[in-house]
Amino acid sequence: MHRTGGIGLQWFSMILTLFLAIGFWGCGKKGNENVTHSDTLVLAAYTVPKEAYEKEIIPAFQNHWRETTGREVTVQQSYEASGAQTRAVLGGFEADVVALSLEGDVDKIAAAGLINHDWKNRPWRGFVTRSVVAIGCRAGNPKNIQGWEDLTREDIEVLYPNPKTSGGAMWCVNAIYGAGLKMSEKKTGRADPGFARDLLKRIQRRVKVMDKSGRLSVTTFERGVGDAILTYENEILLRRIQGREFPLLIPESTILIENPIAVVDKNADRHGVRELAEAFVLFCHTDEAQRAYARYGFRPAHPEILKEFSEIYPDPPLLFDIDYLGGWTQVRKDIYGRGGIWTRITQELAEE
Amino acid sequence: MSSHAIREPGGAGKRPRWLQHSDLALRGISLGYIGLFVALPIVALTTRACGGGLHRVWEEMTRPEALFSLRLTLMMAAAMMIINVLMGTLTAWVLVRYRFPAQSVVNALIDLPFAIPTVVTGLMLVVLYGPQSSIGTFLSAHGVEVIYAKPGIVLALLFVTSPFVVRAVQPVLMELDRDMEEAAATLGARRWTVFRKVILPSIFPAVLTGAALSFSRALGEFGSVVMVAGNIPMRTQVASVFIYGEVESDNPLGALGVSVILLAGSLIVLIALNLLQRLGRKRDE
Repeated sequence: MHRTGGIGLQWFSMILTLFLAIGFWGCGKKGNENVTHSDTLVLAAYTVPKEAYEKEIIPAFQNHWRETTGREVTVQQSYEASGAQTRAVLGGFEADVVALSLEGDVDKIAAAGLINHDWKNRPWRGFVTRSVVAIGCRAGNPKNIQGWEDLTREDIEVLYPNPKTSGGAMWCVNAIYGAGLKMSEKKTGRADPGFARDLLKRIQRRVKVMDKSGRLSVTTFERGVGDAILTYENEILLRRIQGREFPLLIPESTILIENPIAVVDKNADRHGVRELAEAFVLFCHTDEAQRAYARYGFRPAHPEILKEFSEIYPDPPLLFDIDYLGGWTQVRKDIYGRGGIWTRITQELAEE
Repeated sequence: MSSHAIREPGGAGKRPRWLQHSDLALRGISLGYIGLFVALPIVALTTRACGGGLHRVWEEMTRPEALFSLRLTLMMAAAMMIINVLMGTLTAWVLVRYRFPAQSVVNALIDLPFAIPTVVTGLMLVVLYGPQSSIGTFLSAHGVEVIYAKPGIVLALLFVTSPFVVRAVQPVLMELDRDMEEAAATLGARRWTVFRKVILPSIFPAVLTGAALSFSRALGEFGSVVMVAGNIPMRTQVASVFIYGEVESDNPLGALGVSVILLAGSLIVLIALNLLQRLGRKRDE
């Protein structure tokens, strides 16, 4: 009988894989224990700044640590979507330092008791990088996209990821809604929630695919889907650094994004690397590291360094931050909660 | 079982004690194994879902997005199942009854979908039918949307589940007694009548097994569908993607509610299949 044979083989290979995995795991553990002459730091970061950490900041930090202490440091790095990374740390992944995309994610780790210092009590309130939501379009901008209103046109297909699965997508939706408020405020002197909601609905109507992450959304766009993509400015700039033609448009009004970094006290203390972890976080705030971020598409949190790069990172006239929309708790409830603005809009669009 | 009868000396005599013990141990191990690796996680999920208060789970289940995603999943799985039953039976028939070059290669190819990571499946479909491919451009020029629309979901489910029906029907066809067919033919029955009256009744339980397995598999499929579906709530978002979204946005209760419905759906299909097969066996006796 072919079928039973196949399934038997499947089970056999699955069990074999399991044993191998356990074996390798065991090896890995042993390996780490043997290395005692060097320090090890575990960094859990979100995916987008991977290149900046890998290629510049971590090597520079290793030099810095060698010069100041005479010791070698190995940084074990993990890059995952911010939400997934947060859940991993909450679930027992023993990261000493977290660098995430959302303030709320660090708050969750703090609320679980893993961070017990005031992580915002650092230079620039605990944030290391900034970005804005930008509109990316096709090479040469063939559909002549200039701002939010153009994204509502019938000949335009828009991409952004699903706010349920992607923190990045929440920023996009926040940007549209907030821009609606700002633009109506500029016109009439009064922020008009009705206009903002309508703008969001008209753009959401043009959305063709909602991928599960911001990265995937850019990949889909590069595969030829859609005329415009909403994403972080740094995500598009990174593609440009890699040599691709990717026109970028910063709308007149958009949202400021700030990305936090923090020492995870419980883990750092358990591993006995508090000093090292603190040094790494401080190092990310130095001019050297801030310039490295800037080279990889992030707006530096350091205002002086930001000025150095002001040609690449222009200030949109109607920039606003999450507090303009009432802060994250409010936004989660009002926009994404049940009966929230975005939730209702998707339901209304389905009925059309 | 016949194998026991052969091993036991004297046929109907009592079996030695150690054999009874080892039988007990075997049964214990296999039941314990299933309990530990299959039943326990399901029980854990269900109790967690109910632990949050049944009315809360009910509220989450009846949200329009949740209901829509469930309905879409069922519809897509059903469409897939119909195609799978027809084409899977046909494929099994061709593989058993005809000889052609590279047959063993085709036979090996059938199992390949089980070995391919489902994300890769999604990627392959996007590469093949996506907007950058010539097929995709041709189709969209003629107003047919495949990727990021419902046909893409059915295609992904078909790819992932295609071995089930073929592999269920094939062995039954191989063991089928051809004398009956020949007798029917000699008595003047046309080919279609032979198929309907002689072959179909024998392979029907196997077709049913394949159909049910593919259906339950399709209910939970995530990796390939998330790549090709478009995932827009209330339009192209299937249940597994909805569940993933709820997990990601810190609403485990919403995820649990829909998961329990999916689980129940699979369970009902599999139990119904069992009953049908038992009925069929009784009729044969």
